[in-house]
Amino acid sequence: MKKDKKNSFNTPDGYFDSFHERLMAKINNEEVGKMESLIPKSDGFSVPKGYFDGLAEKVLSQVGQHETKVISLKAYRKFYYGAAAIAAVFLLVFGITWKKEAPVSFENLASNEIDAYFETNEVDMSTYEIAEVVSFDEIELNNVFTHEVGEENILEYLSESVEDIEELNLDYSNYE
Amino acid sequence: MIAEETLVHELKQRESQAKAFEVLVNTYKERLYWHIRRIVLDHDDADDVLQNTFIKVYKNIEGFKGDSKLYSWMYRIATNESLTFLKQKSKKMRIGDEELKTKMVENLQSDAYFEGDEIQLKLQRALATLPDKQKLVFTMKYFQEMKYEEISEILETSVGALKASYHLAVKKIEAYLKED
Repeated sequence: MKKDKKNSFNTPDGYFDSFHERLMAKINNEEVGKMESLIPKSDGFSVPKGYFDGLAEKVLSQVGQHETKVISLKAYRKFYYGAAAIAAVFLLVFGITWKKEAPVSFENLASNEIDAYFETNEVDMSTYEIAEVVSFDEIELNNVFTHEVGEENILEYLSESVEDIEELNLDYSNYE
Repeated sequence: MIAEETLVHELKQRESQAKAFEVLVNTYKERLYWHIRRIVLDHDDADDVLQNTFIKVYKNIEGFKGDSKLYSWMYRIATNESLTFLKQKSKKMRIGDEELKTKMVENLQSDAYFEGDEIQLKLQRALATLPDKQKLVFTMKYFQEMKYEEISEILETSVGALKASYHLAVKKIEAYLKED
């Protein structure tokens, strides 16, 4: 037993001589432990044979279908002039005596009719499709509430009910 | 391999677009497929989402300003497409997100394109218990062997937060795998 001169603690004989070796052995064991982690190295997924070979052609044909066809208006210009002239005559003749009926507009719809539409029709729009028609700059959170919600109320709600703000899984529609 | 800036430039030119797009698809198809597959699990679903991803890339390439790298921009689209796909799937099946995740893992047992054994199936069950972001970080780091810096650019999260997420995910998975 080796005794420290300044205090009463002591260490087993040869403790410091073999310390480095024992430390390295422990580090090696931990490294091996890491290598032999319980988590398998592969997740077992496979793909049909040759799947990747034909993929580019498949995607390119899909892109072709999604491209909007451009139709020249020049060929129809004469026809449009004629049709517009006939329509103007009809409007003049019948427009004056026509019984005026209020046109159907979005404002005329009762909110329960709008609700019923969304209930009965599958509105299968992705966030991208909605983002394409509604500019992000035009959206205000308070647009969807009948009573205005203050920013401090929103922050208070988030701090109370969200553990990790990154897990909100925010969606990015613009990609830039 | 064609430089990224050149490829982006060619994708924006009408005359070179088709050829450049083919190069783009062939360059990234496998990496994006495996990224998507690990989120949606089923091969047919992964195929649908992969095609949608490339269509979105094609339609939005004009708006790509080059502030981030092309591949991280595409990974971001693939991630969002996959998560949106799962949300729509649970809505169509009228079940919650958690129930959908459980069903997806159980379906793997009869999946012709899942060759995993009992441990790998248990790993999928463990992954299904993680929050989406933690699962993403884990699969991107562990199976796709991506650098934290790359994951950081894709998920727009700091490297420090990613390291913490990964560490937490590993601990949770190991604890799950140790259970009988």
